[in-house]
Formats: sequence, C-alpha cells, structure tokens
Amino acid sequence: MAPPSEEPTDGAVSPADYRTLCDLLRERTGLSFTEAKRYYVQRRLAERVEATRMPSVRDYLNLLRFQASGAEMQLLVNLMTVNETYFFREKYQLDCLVNGMLDEVVRHRRPGERVRLWSAGCATGEEPYSIAITLLERWPRVDEFQIELYASDIDSMALDRAREGVYGERSLQALPAELVERYFRPVAPGSWRIIDELRESVDFSLVNIVDPAQVRRFTGIDVVFCRNLLIYFDDLGRRNAAAMFHEALSPGGFVALGHSESMSRMSSLFVPRRFPDAILYQKPAEGAGA
Amino acid sequence: MGLVKAGSKGTLGTAPTGAAAPEDWTALLEHADAGHRRHAAQALGDRPDAAATLAARLPREPDPAVREALLTALVRIGSPEAAAGLAPMLASEDAGLRNGALESLQQMPVDAVEPQMDALAGSDDSDLRIFAVLLAARLGPAERSARLHQALERDPHVNVGLTAAEAVAELGDPAALPALEAFAARFPDDPCVAYTVDAARRRFRGAS
Ligand SMILES: C[S@@+](CC[C@H](N)C(=O)[O-])C[C@H]1O[C@@H](n2cnc3c(N)ncnc32)[C@H](O)[C@@H]1O
Repeated sequence: MAPPSEEPTDGAVSPADYRTLCDLLRERTGLSFTEAKRYYVQRRLAERVEATRMPSVRDYLNLLRFQASGAEMQLLVNLMTVNETYFFREKYQLDCLVNGMLDEVVRHRRPGERVRLWSAGCATGEEPYSIAITLLERWPRVDEFQIELYASDIDSMALDRAREGVYGERSLQALPAELVERYFRPVAPGSWRIIDELRESVDFSLVNIVDPAQVRRFTGIDVVFCRNLLIYFDDLGRRNAAAMFHEALSPGGFVALGHSESMSRMSSLFVPRRFPDAILYQKPAEGAGA
Repeated sequence: MGLVKAGSKGTLGTAPTGAAAPEDWTALLEHADAGHRRHAAQALGDRPDAAATLAARLPREPDPAVREALLTALVRIGSPEAAAGLAPMLASEDAGLRNGALESLQQMPVDAVEPQMDALAGSDDSDLRIFAVLLAARLGPAERSARLHQALERDPHVNVGLTAAEAVAELGDPAALPALEAFAARFPDDPCVAYTVDAARRRFRGAS
C-alpha cells in the first residue's frame, strides 16, 4: 500500500500522490508519465490545485476522479499534452498517401464512393490540413471520390485552435510559399488563416483514442494518421490504441505512425507494408488472416 | 466531389453505447459475432473479477482481433489472477497464442507475475527461462540475486546465462562476480560468454 502522503511544502507533491495522479492519467488517457517527468507534471498540477482552490493535492485528486462532468480532468489533460506540430511534418507519409496508398485504397471502388481519412491526435490541426492540401494539390483522382476527412484530439483547447485555423510562421515554415498563398489569408503580421474551404472540409471532434466508447463512432476508415502520439503512451496504451484503430479501419485500411513508432512492437493485428516513401501498417483484407 | 464538407458528413455510424449489464458481457464473450465478443472483452477489462473468464475464452477464440482484445483486457487487469490465467498458455501448441501470452505477461506488473516465477524458471523451454530471468531482474535485491546467480551457475542453456549476465552487469552488483566467473568457466569456448562476462567485469571495476 502507498504510504500516507505528507502535505506538500514548497509546492512539491508527495510520491504517493504523484503515483495516484499518474495512474489516473494513464488509465483515462493512455498517457504515461514516468519519474523523469515529475517536474513537468508537478508544475501543472500545482497550477490546477491553486486555480481550483482545493485545500490539498489529495482533495484535488478526488475532484479529478469523481467530478461528474469531467471538466477538471479535461482542463488538466489539456495542460499535460504535448501539442507540438507543424504543416508538412514527416512529409514522406503525405507523399506516400498520394503516391500509391490511396490508389490502392480505391482500387476496387467506383467513382463517387467514399474515402475516409482520420487524423487521430491532430493537435492544432496542421496535420489534417496538410492532408487536405496534399490531396488537392497532388492526388489526380481527388475529384472522383467523396473524401471525408476526420480529425480528433483529446485536448479541447488544441481542437479550438484547429477549428479556428490561424497559424504563425513557425507552423508554416515547411510549407512552400505558393501553397501559403493559395490556401491561407493573412490576418495580422506573422499570422495567417487557412481558407474557409479547407476549414470546412475537416470534421474536428474530441476523441480519446483509448476509450472504446468514443472510438466506436469511427467505422469504415481507410487511413488513420496517428503520428507522434503513441510515443507518450506505455505498452498497454499503445496496444489499446492499436486495437481501436483495427476496429475503426476497413479491411485493407492503413495506419501511418510517426517515424520512431512501430506497430510490430504493439500489435500482432497489422502487417507492415513497404511503399516507396514510407512503411505503413495494414489491417489484413477480409479472409487474409492476421 | 473531392473533399466533403464537414457539416454534410454526419455519416459515421452511431455506435451502440455500452449499455449491457455486467452479467451480459460474460455471455457476450461467447457470442457468434466477433464484434460482440470483442466489445465484451474490452468491457470486462474494467472488471478484476473477470480475469479467469477472459483467460478461459482465450484458447477457444478463433478471431485474432478478439484474441488481442482478451489479452489486452488481461494486461489491463494486471492482477496475479490475470497472470495465472495466462501462464498455462505459455505451453500452448499455438505459436500465436504462446507469443501473445508471453508478451502480455511481460507487460504486467512484476508483482502480478511473480507467483508464476517458479514455474517459468523450471520450464523445459529456454525461452521461458529467459523470461523468468528478465522478470527476476525487476524484483527486489534479495530475491533477484538468488535467481540471477542460479541461472548463471546452473542453467544448461547458454542464452539463459547470457541474459542473467547482462542483467547483473546492468544492475552493477559486484556480489555477482563469483557467479559470473562460474558461468564463464561452464562455457569456456563460447566467445559471446567471454565477451559478456568481460564487459560485466569491467563495468564492476568502473563502478567500484
Ligand atoms: C505531439 S502531438 C502530434 C500532432 C500531429 N499528429 C503531428 O504528428 O504533428 C500529440 C497529440 O496527441 C494528443 N493525444 C494524447 N493522448 C491522446 C489520446 N488519448 N487521445 C487522443 N489524442 C491524444 C495530444 O493532445 C497532442 O495534441
């Protein structure tokens, strides 16, 4: 059993309370905070304890656990996530999308049928908008199909910014100038807003990818982009996420992970597929076995 | 056509919400439809008392995705009962199941798996004994040393000893030196053993 927690002096959190918090976050979000992240977690925790005027960390933890609305959990999660992203990050996968992956997805589809793409863990929206731009610019068959683009994240603040679609130079730096010209409008010095046509083409929603009840809404997905998210999970979280994607995907559908992430270490349900631009993970087609 | 407007989609399925009563989940684990079985397995992962039920379904489960959901649920439960339910599958003829069980046990807390330790360490399968060594390295100091030293001094399979040698080197415990030397003496012609033992010796010297 955990030893009784001493009350924090100097804003520090007792080891037992730290453990309780990490366990709770892992259970609810898949995010795994080790001892090495203690300072990072502690600072944000102290901020929320103060903002909620809870008399102690222990009281705050109880609020997190039992509050019916989950509002405080949401606020804390927003603080704990790492939202770093930019346009055309890991562009080789976007290349892959239009250099073979989508052609394979639609091989047995007739014009007019649906293609569903999902950016799971979209942060402030750069990833789904990059996908949209890439499709419009570089996939010759873009007009033949009804392409549905979904994007989700567990962080409600990041999603608000994604919906708003206003970006600074840092976000845009990998984007060629003519694409900025075509798909953005300046709103202030050093600040551009993505054009409405693109903003309206992405369906943003708040989804925790390790919660089956939330993910179950996603069905018949052809490609999941889940990049630079699973690095923050532990083994079990990764395994859960892999199972969720497997369930959401159509047979033959693909998962694109970040460059340091590999499905073979998290799930036996997918087979690696090597394309000229990238390695992807494929849900076996029906009858092909796993 | 092309990119569809977000507002005009609304075509994603509305999933049935998890409204089933707890006792129904257990029954659904045997349902003819794999989707139901998978959801039941996911739901039962919240219920520590379901460990034995989940484990019992595993060897009979033909669908790989449901099998994965069963294993994941057991890892989530992560109790000694869950580990005990998985342990017998380490001897399964079915390689997929065996590997799945092994991988899942590795992801469980060491306290949950510790009761299975003697069975693992005494197994005929050297892979399982390697696993026992890896687990032992995560135990408290007293228990740990006894098990690691034993593997070094006695295990007939060189790979089990090598795993233990790497573990003691990593832990930097000079008390393991005699056991390491004994290991080196048992496999005098194996360059891998010589190399690993030598690396450990140097490591201890650097540490002391
Ligand atoms: C570093 S960003 C990656 C953004 C983008 N995919 C990229 O590669 O640039 C990671 C995002 O994952 C989100 N995230 C973390 N845990 C999540 C979960 N359980 N469900 C959904 N999103 C999650 C975070 O909120 C964060 O916005």
